[in-house]
Amino acid sequence: MMSTKAFALVPAVEREQLMGDRERVSLECVECCGRNLYVGTSDCFVYHFLLEEETAPGGSATFTATKQLHRHLGFKKPVNELRAASALHRLLVLCDGSITLVHMLSLEPVPSGARIKGATAFALNENPVSGDPFCVEVCIISVKRRTIQVFLVYEDRVQIVREVSTPEQPLAVAVDGHFLCLALTTQYIILNYSTGVAQDLFPFCSEEKRPIVKRIGRQEFLLAGPGGLGMFATVAGISQRAPVHWSENVVGAAVCFPYVIALDSEFITVHSMLDQQQKQTLPFKEGHILQDFEGRLIVATSKGVYVLVPLPLEKQIQDLLASRRVEEALVLAKGARRNIPKEKFQVMYRRILQQAGFIQFAQLQFLEAKELFRSGQLDVRELISLYPFLLPTSSSFTRSHPPLHEFADLNQLTQGDQEKVAKCKRFLMSYLNEVRSTEVANGYKEDIDTALLKLYTEADHDSLLDLLVTENFCLLTDSAAWLEKHKKYFALGLLYHYNHQDAAAVQLWVSIVNGDIHDSTRSDLYEYIVDFLTYSLDPDLVWQYADWVLQKNPEVGVQVFTKRPVDDQQSRFNPDDIINCLKKYPQALVKYLEHLVVDRRLQKEGYHTHLAVLYLDEVLQQRPSASGKDAEVTETQAKLRRLLQQSDLYQVHFLLDRIRGAGLPMESAILLGKLEQHEEALRILVHELADFPAAEGYCLWRSEGRAPPYRRRLFQLLLAIYLSPGPSAPELAVAAVDLLNRRATEFDAAQVLQLLPGTWSVQLLCPFLMGAVRDSVHARRTTQVAMGLAKSENLIYKYDKMKLKGSSVRLSDKKLCQMCRNPFCEPVFVRYPNGGLVHTHCAASRHTNPSSPSPGART
Amino acid sequence: MRKPDGKIVLLGDMNVGKTSLLQRYMERRFPDTVSTVGGAFYLKQWRSYNISIWDTAGREQFHGLGSMYCRGAAAVILTYDVNNAQSLLELEDRFLGLTDTASADCLFAIVGNKVDLSEEGPGEGGQEGGQGPGLAGGGGCAAPRLPKQVQLEDAVAFYKKILKYKMLDEKEVPAAEQMCFETSAKTGHNVDLLFETLFDMVVPVILQQRAQGPPQTVDITSSRPPARTRSGCCA
Repeated sequence: MMSTKAFALVPAVEREQLMGDRERVSLECVECCGRNLYVGTSDCFVYHFLLEEETAPGGSATFTATKQLHRHLGFKKPVNELRAASALHRLLVLCDGSITLVHMLSLEPVPSGARIKGATAFALNENPVSGDPFCVEVCIISVKRRTIQVFLVYEDRVQIVREVSTPEQPLAVAVDGHFLCLALTTQYIILNYSTGVAQDLFPFCSEEKRPIVKRIGRQEFLLAGPGGLGMFATVAGISQRAPVHWSENVVGAAVCFPYVIALDSEFITVHSMLDQQQKQTLPFKEGHILQDFEGRLIVATSKGVYVLVPLPLEKQIQDLLASRRVEEALVLAKGARRNIPKEKFQVMYRRILQQAGFIQFAQLQFLEAKELFRSGQLDVRELISLYPFLLPTSSSFTRSHPPLHEFADLNQLTQGDQEKVAKCKRFLMSYLNEVRSTEVANGYKEDIDTALLKLYTEADHDSLLDLLVTENFCLLTDSAAWLEKHKKYFALGLLYHYNHQDAAAVQLWVSIVNGDIHDSTRSDLYEYIVDFLTYSLDPDLVWQYADWVLQKNPEVGVQVFTKRPVDDQQSRFNPDDIINCLKKYPQALVKYLEHLVVDRRLQKEGYHTHLAVLYLDEVLQQRPSASGKDAEVTETQAKLRRLLQQSDLYQVHFLLDRIRGAGLPMESAILLGKLEQHEEALRILVHELADFPAAEGYCLWRSEGRAPPYRRRLFQLLLAIYLSPGPSAPELAVAAVDLLNRRATEFDAAQVLQLLPGTWSVQLLCPFLMGAVRDSVHARRTTQVAMGLAKSENLIYKYDKMKLKGSSVRLSDKKLCQMCRNPFCEPVFVRYPNGGLVHTHCAASRHTNPSSPSPGART
Repeated sequence: MRKPDGKIVLLGDMNVGKTSLLQRYMERRFPDTVSTVGGAFYLKQWRSYNISIWDTAGREQFHGLGSMYCRGAAAVILTYDVNNAQSLLELEDRFLGLTDTASADCLFAIVGNKVDLSEEGPGEGGQEGGQGPGLAGGGGCAAPRLPKQVQLEDAVAFYKKILKYKMLDEKEVPAAEQMCFETSAKTGHNVDLLFETLFDMVVPVILQQRAQGPPQTVDITSSRPPARTRSGCCA
């Protein structure tokens, strides 16, 4: 077992100071209170020393004890125990079965002679119940069999407050509040002297071995257990700490957190209460006293007194860390929490965590290291600085002093093992990636992101691009140099872009596409550039590279204009400029005009005509022979037709001139339709193209949004063309029948009947006729209903009129105007529907006076 | 160190594997262990509760400490070795009495450890009367597979005896089948099941204890809502 150095043994009182050359005299008991050290001897002397602690230049403590006084107590018995009650300035001395009170400085007994008689051992209550600051509570084991007595001791008097009997003879006592912890003959117990309730702890044969009962803190005791155990027990009779394992013959024990110190005839042993491990062993012969006095540990042989000086916790922890005992160091540090001011502790603990982290890191225990770095809130740059060249040149970082670890850099740490280096780099990558968005990164985001960029670059890691396209703090100069060195030109472009240097970015990417420099990061870099320019807010840049992208691929390249967000197009890009630029690239121009006309629905004649002409040119180019009707309708042709049909803006005559003689009957028909030359248009469709569905479609198209009679006129016209005599009469007749039967509602049956040849059978036109008759009958019936309704409405009005006319109004002197209360002197009057009569002028005036109530309309 | 909310104590004769069971559960390993001196404990966080698990020493020398360890325990795990019939008898003779100090509603689990040494099936039908003195003394780990000396039914019978001894009504405590386990700390067989079943059962006991008596001290750092009343025994 490796050992910790937790304590140093420092001599305090040499034997010469005590007994000189009196060989047979021995030291019996010790008390220490502040700087006062008292020693009781076997020849009934009490010595008083002043203990001075000094720190030697090397940091180690030394003690000098200066004798103040010694006094013989006047017995022939040894001094058994000494206890100081500093608040009372009294020293309690147990000698020859009684406890005397002597003055702390003069060692004179109190004049009153107050004493406690019949005591074999005693203990002070350090957690007193009385609350009176001018007395101390003392428990004694009485000379009476199986009796414990509790006293209050004042400056010059003593008072017994309680006597309790115990089931067996008590041999040792400690006290806390109301609770006595007693070693009896065969067991330890907790006894509440106020209630008398006793609780067994565990068996222990006090006759075989000397029991130890030690109060170690509030409501907790340390006891010598079977098999050399140091047992902990609370006043509730339970154990909250695991026992420590001492040797069998321990004679004294004490606690100096977080350690339990035990004394046997050969050694002082130190166990940690945190992990129960033995931490230190100090050889110490013939020790027989070990006691702690307000945190000061004193050991004594029968001849001399020594102080057990705890080494500073930080020193102990650093020693542990130096020997790579991370776990123990952390346990010790954590255990020290309550003994150190919070602020100081946090600083210290963080540093220990960080150091521990580096120890784990050096052993490639990355998971543990990460946790320690995280909880220790490590300045990430400490870690980054281990890796050569990762910190930006501009970083002001210097490693903390004293250093957190012993390594110069990664190469030293791994001793050049490349596999280990790679592992470390992978760890740093994931670690930085994790912390960069947390508060750990605050203040050094540049350092972190730049380091991460360098690592990703070196490792050819996909996340490099993610890093650059999202919010980052990579320093431009450092990162650019690094990316260039590793030929990551595409990423370099992203970096430039992030730093608002789009021109540099695009130039770099264009060079890659052109093959001037090599970087295969993206196979679709050209499309990427187009996309980039599309969303670029810099018109100059777009214009600068417009030619380049169009040359490469006009149809894709034109996207820099067409896919641009509309509001941006409107404010910064004039369509005419673009059209001008696109002149050299017809395909691109078509796409752009389509975009203007179809997508953006710009209502400008020029664009529509231009687009139509471009379509037309292409159509004509595709069929130079103008061969014939059977040719498939090309995509362009379809687009042309759609444009011609849907747009009302192009110059119809201009196009009609261009188209004439080009063998494009359908297009001609559309254009004629635009000019409302329906008969000619339909003739082309029927006679030249014999495309009857198109002819029918034409009628629907041209009558769109117009009143039904207009549509009927068109269909009537079509029917007339079908039925007009000509070479292809039979087919046309079929078309006519078909048209009539399917579109019965579009015709005025009466007019149709006049056109039809007399030879046609009723059977042939059955659907048409049925529809027409039904329509006609329906129309008649609805009209009849409407007429009936109108008649009855008329009747109602008539009835009303008759009613009103039927009764007469009689004017007399007794009738007064309802408004002015004057009689009528003229035959003219106004009568309201409710029967009220008023003067005409009163009625007129009341209409001009809106505030008066309205009785209704005049009749 | 936070104050534990509840305590579980492992009891049993020496060499039945108490320390190994606990190490298997807490540290997921099966190292060689030395005879436990005195006792040791682990803190286990289970949901929002801290449960302390005490490993006790099986040696006769430390027997006297058992009562103190059991004081206020919410559950006691009585452990025996399935290959050593005496170890089950010892539980009744020596260890059951130690649990008198445990809390009144203490739960009992009976655990037969070392089933890996006596896999029934292929190894059966071998030597009969393979009960050697070496087994009782422990350290017989290198022995070939032997027929199991203690059957689960024996443990169930013992559990019922405990209930009689404690004067508990069978209907008010978990059923015997639930509380008797056969484990192997070496292979990990049933070890998690054992501890986690117990934790789940102990939590309501903790809640009930809290509901019954006002706490001795005021915990100003705790912001837990007041404990609910017992929601019946968990199944």
